[in-house]
Amino acid sequence: MSGLRCLVGLAMVVGAVTPVAAQQPVPAGHIKTVSGSAAIVRAGGTVTARPGDPIYATDTLRTSADGSIGVTLRDDTRVSLGPNSEVKVDRYVYSPGEGGLGMVLKFVRGVAVYVSGRMAKIAPDSIRLEAPSAIVGVRGTTVAIRVGD
Amino acid sequence: MARSARGCAWLLSGLLAALLSAGCGVRRTAPAAPVPPPAPALIVLLPDPESGITGRIRVSNEFGSIDLSTPRASVQTTAHAAPGPMRTLSDDEVKRFFGEAIAALPPPPRHFILQFKFESDTLTDASAALVPAILDAVKALPVPEVVIVGHTDTMGDRKSNLALGLRRATAVRGILLSAGLAEPLVEVTSHGEGDPLVKTRDNTAEPRNRRVEITVR
Repeated sequence: MSGLRCLVGLAMVVGAVTPVAAQQPVPAGHIKTVSGSAAIVRAGGTVTARPGDPIYATDTLRTSADGSIGVTLRDDTRVSLGPNSEVKVDRYVYSPGEGGLGMVLKFVRGVAVYVSGRMAKIAPDSIRLEAPSAIVGVRGTTVAIRVGD
Repeated sequence: MARSARGCAWLLSGLLAALLSAGCGVRRTAPAAPVPPPAPALIVLLPDPESGITGRIRVSNEFGSIDLSTPRASVQTTAHAAPGPMRTLSDDEVKRFFGEAIAALPPPPRHFILQFKFESDTLTDASAALVPAILDAVKALPVPEVVIVGHTDTMGDRKSNLALGLRRATAVRGILLSAGLAEPLVEVTSHGEGDPLVKTRDNTAEPRNRRVEITVR
């Protein structure tokens, strides 16, 4: 039994490592608007965010006190952040042809707005917006979230 | 041979270390650092910025859940109670809290649907007339992308429909490039039968689902 569990554990580790080795070339979306200073946190490093830059699943968007940023994801979902804010694109899969759909956005701090795209029409249950103290399920809609006091 | 065996052993030991550090077998002795409680949040349902239509959301945590379905309905969430109660924010409050984020929203994506003449790769006259509008929409954007997606109805199997959708999308790409669209902006893909305009059973002929959708965003 414990041998089986370790096998499952091994499979999970391999599964967790593989996507990093075979970095997905397909972006989750692109940065469309930037004002002030904003950054993309990717694999521990930080790069300045510029309009037109691609963003990938597991990237985090982060703005400074003077910054704001807006992205459009592959399914037309739009997400924007106000100043001093952080949102992680924790999971993003959009390939309706193969039947793969899923989006998890983590609202870590600050203020952000989400405007739903096609995924909310095709498979609303595959979308989850996570704040630190709650989870939001959406049905084709616009949501604003402020994390913190 | 020997080298690859050694490499394999090295990989396995690395995986084992990863397993152990993940807590599979060894107990951590260091005391857990005090974790601050999850931050509270304010969650607001807003009307869609373009259509003005208000959707519906469900806000949940381990203590309970609440549904919101009216413009500017909001709830506070905390780490130790169910979300709620619902309070409708004023327009001023929405602007004060979220104005900068709302101003940073990218322009709404625009969509065009092109259809082909029966059993051909020539656009219908109505669809051909849309081509200049597509180019204008691209010019209006500071950071444009054009995504061309081929769609089919549910006749035939999923895999061959994926290929058929790609052929249709590629044909439209050729039409737009010869009309003057810059090539690097364009991405071509297929959703096959997975994203129908009109939902049907499998193996149903539906002309409205045989289409190419162009998103300009």
